[in-house]
Amino acid sequence: MFTYSLTGLEIKSAADGPEEVEENETTARSAVYQVLGAFFSAPDRDHFDRAGQGLWTKELTEAASLLPFPLEVGELTLASDVDPESYSAEYARLFGAGCSEALQIGAEDRDDVEAKLRREYEYFGLAVSTDRRAADDLCTECDFMQYLAFREAATGSDRLRASYRKAQRDFLERHLLSWVPDMVAAATALGPNAVYSWGLDRLDTFLRSDLDYVTAQLDG
Amino acid sequence: MSTEDRYQRRWCWDRVTWGTHCVNCLATCPYRVFTLGDTVAFEEQGGTIEAVAEGVPDLNPLGCQKGSAWSVQLTSEDRVLHPLRRVGERGGGQWEQITWEEALTEVADAMLDTIDEDGVESIVFEESVEGGLLSQAPFLRLAGLLGAITLDANGLVNDLPTGHHITFGKFSCASTVDDTFRSELLLQWHSNPAYTSIPYHHFISEARYRGATVVAIAPDYNASAVSSDMFVPVRPGTDAALALSMCEVVLSEGLADLEFASTQTDLPLLVRTDTGRFLRERDIRSGGAEDHFFLWDEGNGIHDAPRATLRLEGLKPALRGRWPVQLADGSTVEVTTVLSLLEERLADYVPERAEELCGVAASTIRTLARMVAGHRCKILEGFNTPKYYHGDLMERSMCLLLGLTGNWGRPGTGIQGLALAGLDGYFLFPMKTKKGVEETARLLEGIEQAVETMRERDPEATDEMLGNQLLALSASSGTSAPPVFFNYHHAGYRETWNRAEWSDPTMKRTFDAYLSDAVRRGWWGGVARPGAATEPRVLFSVGTNPLRRARGGRAKLLSNLWPKLDKVVVVDFRMSTTALHADLILPSAMQYERVNVQYPITHTLRLSFSDAATPPRGESRTEWQIFSALAKRLSERAVERDLLEYVDGRRQTRHLDRLGDDFVVGGDFASEEVVLDEWVRDSADAGTLPVGSSVETLRRDGSIRFTGLGIFAPGLSVAADVSPTDVMTAFGWHVDKGLPFPTLTRRAQFYIDHPWFVEADEHLPRHKEPPRMGGDWPLLMTSGHSRWTVHSISMGNRPLLGTHRGRPLVVMSEQDAVECAVREGDQVRVVNDHGAFEAMARVTPRVRPGQLIVYNGFEPHMFPRWEGTNEVEPGMVKWLHLVGKYGHLRYLPFGWQPVPADRAVFVRLERVEAV
Repeated sequence: MFTYSLTGLEIKSAADGPEEVEENETTARSAVYQVLGAFFSAPDRDHFDRAGQGLWTKELTEAASLLPFPLEVGELTLASDVDPESYSAEYARLFGAGCSEALQIGAEDRDDVEAKLRREYEYFGLAVSTDRRAADDLCTECDFMQYLAFREAATGSDRLRASYRKAQRDFLERHLLSWVPDMVAAATALGPNAVYSWGLDRLDTFLRSDLDYVTAQLDG
Repeated sequence: MSTEDRYQRRWCWDRVTWGTHCVNCLATCPYRVFTLGDTVAFEEQGGTIEAVAEGVPDLNPLGCQKGSAWSVQLTSEDRVLHPLRRVGERGGGQWEQITWEEALTEVADAMLDTIDEDGVESIVFEESVEGGLLSQAPFLRLAGLLGAITLDANGLVNDLPTGHHITFGKFSCASTVDDTFRSELLLQWHSNPAYTSIPYHHFISEARYRGATVVAIAPDYNASAVSSDMFVPVRPGTDAALALSMCEVVLSEGLADLEFASTQTDLPLLVRTDTGRFLRERDIRSGGAEDHFFLWDEGNGIHDAPRATLRLEGLKPALRGRWPVQLADGSTVEVTTVLSLLEERLADYVPERAEELCGVAASTIRTLARMVAGHRCKILEGFNTPKYYHGDLMERSMCLLLGLTGNWGRPGTGIQGLALAGLDGYFLFPMKTKKGVEETARLLEGIEQAVETMRERDPEATDEMLGNQLLALSASSGTSAPPVFFNYHHAGYRETWNRAEWSDPTMKRTFDAYLSDAVRRGWWGGVARPGAATEPRVLFSVGTNPLRRARGGRAKLLSNLWPKLDKVVVVDFRMSTTALHADLILPSAMQYERVNVQYPITHTLRLSFSDAATPPRGESRTEWQIFSALAKRLSERAVERDLLEYVDGRRQTRHLDRLGDDFVVGGDFASEEVVLDEWVRDSADAGTLPVGSSVETLRRDGSIRFTGLGIFAPGLSVAADVSPTDVMTAFGWHVDKGLPFPTLTRRAQFYIDHPWFVEADEHLPRHKEPPRMGGDWPLLMTSGHSRWTVHSISMGNRPLLGTHRGRPLVVMSEQDAVECAVREGDQVRVVNDHGAFEAMARVTPRVRPGQLIVYNGFEPHMFPRWEGTNEVEPGMVKWLHLVGKYGHLRYLPFGWQPVPADRAVFVRLERVEAV
């Protein structure tokens, strides 16, 4: 069984339907967003340990096992000379204060961007956790996709399923894929370490494949 | 500061937002609004809309001088900036400024007194489309939560062509306005688009450049006639005779598209010659249906008319003839076709006879008829015909002309009236008990389920028909009430409407008798509210202006309705005539000071956004703020007064202590921006707006094109595919897909076999002279919208006042001026048996003798003694429109119902001697 696990968003208005569902293609997509969201959060000791133990690849492999499209997980090797401090420093070097849509698109007013996103989340019964991440943080946006995919899997309503699918395509088009590819390119140009190089590549590949998949589902 | 600096400063700005005007022209042209600090510097037309179809001009620039001068009005002298309470007599002009707290408490107490003493149906709101959806939705929401009465907007303003409804089961015939470009023949008939459709007028010129012929059919040589290829001066009020004569020519000369007429219309249906009624299934089969009709197949004789499709599916219906038919009881009757009966009727309208009626030369009628038959023809119809007593006959006759010539549902054809675009989110909103997509899906699924349940009972019904059934059901539980009953019982119209000499002479009984008969038969069951015994006590006018608008006049309302009212509450941004007679005025924010959208219509098929470019001036507030605060205050006062619940007029228990919370759904809908965002997102989810649409996309783009017609009847009634790359042609589904019309016969219906229609000899279209409304006087007063204002909205706008004489005018012919000893610029008195007003004479050769034109919009307070033009309008209601429960002739909100006439009243004119 699969359930969502949100870190940047919280449930504001409980949705109808079960909170756990059988694993399938759709929960696999949700699970990948869950892993990617966690991977791109600001690293702490646990994040570092998981990289060292190869857990990121393991989790992504498990999450992606039922994906309806191929995702090459590949190998992730943490160099032996990387310690927790330099591990965190690499994240800061690549992403500054964090992977944020407003920062990437050069928005003059970040509050504006966040307000738009908050409305988007609210329409789907979610609210930004005030003590955690910004609304435009990559991890929050991954949380949102994770939740939409989960609800798509959980709902018994064809209409609602279509609504969640349309919302995912729209969010990928208007948000994630409007800034993440540029962010990935910018970070890649800085020569990221093997861990983040792996993560950036997976993120970019997955988002594009997911958009293709969701689009095909809707158009089909 | 140098002149140059001053000039340059005039055009400086530091912020640009989108704005539109949400007034009753409904064009909602996207403007760029340029703001410097907290002041709007100027606005200009957006011009950013892309062409939809290759080779068809785009909608740009969309706008007119009224929209371009809107910002001036933000600071005009008639602006109301603070809550005001009347001091002294009503209309005395004495006011005191009060706080919002005081104002809301006073209104809340008046409402609670009314609920406690007389019931909530004594609280009445006037519906309107003035001010935009976010002006209307708040008070409609409060009225809905309370179970109060809202007077149906169409019953107040009679904008919608009743004849379209009689013919098509709906009034929504309008294609996107760029379809005009695809016409070969444009008839500007009962419309003056050079005045009233300025944003769209370029399509007429562009169609002409590509070879279309433009014809102006009007009594006066109006501004639209100037740029037409042909001007057909018709005697006022005789358009039905002209149209029917053209139909006679089309049929007698063999020019009719009879295949189109056979599939689309009721012309092949069989009618019993003994009763004049359609031959129904129950006539010939025991236990047969009342709404199942027949045609005569040339090969096989009598045959069921298909109900699920307009397609004839191999049938070859005879259009002319008489045949014997055996009835279920064994007797035999003769039947004939509607077309046969129609041709008998049209014999009265051969061009030479019609020339005597309508004043158009017989040769011109023939020429015009042949032109219509040989071209893709579109009638550009405004909102003028619905305002004539017999406007329905004119409209039915125009529709007949198009039906005989294959002119609807195809590119460049049809009648360009009005059709609402279905903003599903707006329709869903009153039902939402929480925010978000889950609730939307729940509601949509509930509606779909209800539709499917109805479909089980009638598997051949279309979505549009079932949508109408849902709408009719909701009407019997909603707040909307046709105003005819309110006006009859409470506003002093009963005596007027019973004046036989002002009514249709074929009316055999008194108006009283027809009205009580209609009510007794249950034709208006559940909506004939408030009843005679429920006197109104609180009246809300939100952006409406009944004392200017009411056909019947300000004096009638002041002497009959006003004395019954404990509280007249006006919510407006300006000091209208109604505001001048109010007890309390609550100042509302204007467009540019608040977010808003207007009712979208199919002309542009776009939703345009008006942003808050500046803060509201003074203490003005948005309607959402006003009515949510009033709901909260009502709850608080109800608790203080221990009036926690009551039973409304429909026996439903209402809880006042929860009202404030219910209004904003526990805080989910705390502001109008959140509400609008929900409407837009829900509409996108339902498929009527692009996926991903939100307030933010509106704010970015200013205007969004619809992607679908939605699931509700108002949108579906356009019956057309919406494509991102094509012009939309109304009724395409009927012509291309054979989808039946939502009428009794499921066809465009020219034969109405209701006994009252037979009694009035209106079972088929015909011409009737305008009744002598106002008395037996020599001049016929007509009206129309001016180019300077939308209703009275811009009557306080100095630049716009400067574009005309800035005062009420009576436009008259030179000949009448000589006969009345009047010269240009004289003050004249227009008088009839109903009332009088004074205005300045404008003498011009463009008006035909015998006609007076007084353009719509002047505020009564601009006239001496505040007696406006509506003082001479009796506001007669055509008794025939009291018919109900006859197929499609049943009440639908904003649809079929009796409406008051205000055009073609008879008057005399005299010069006012200089004092």
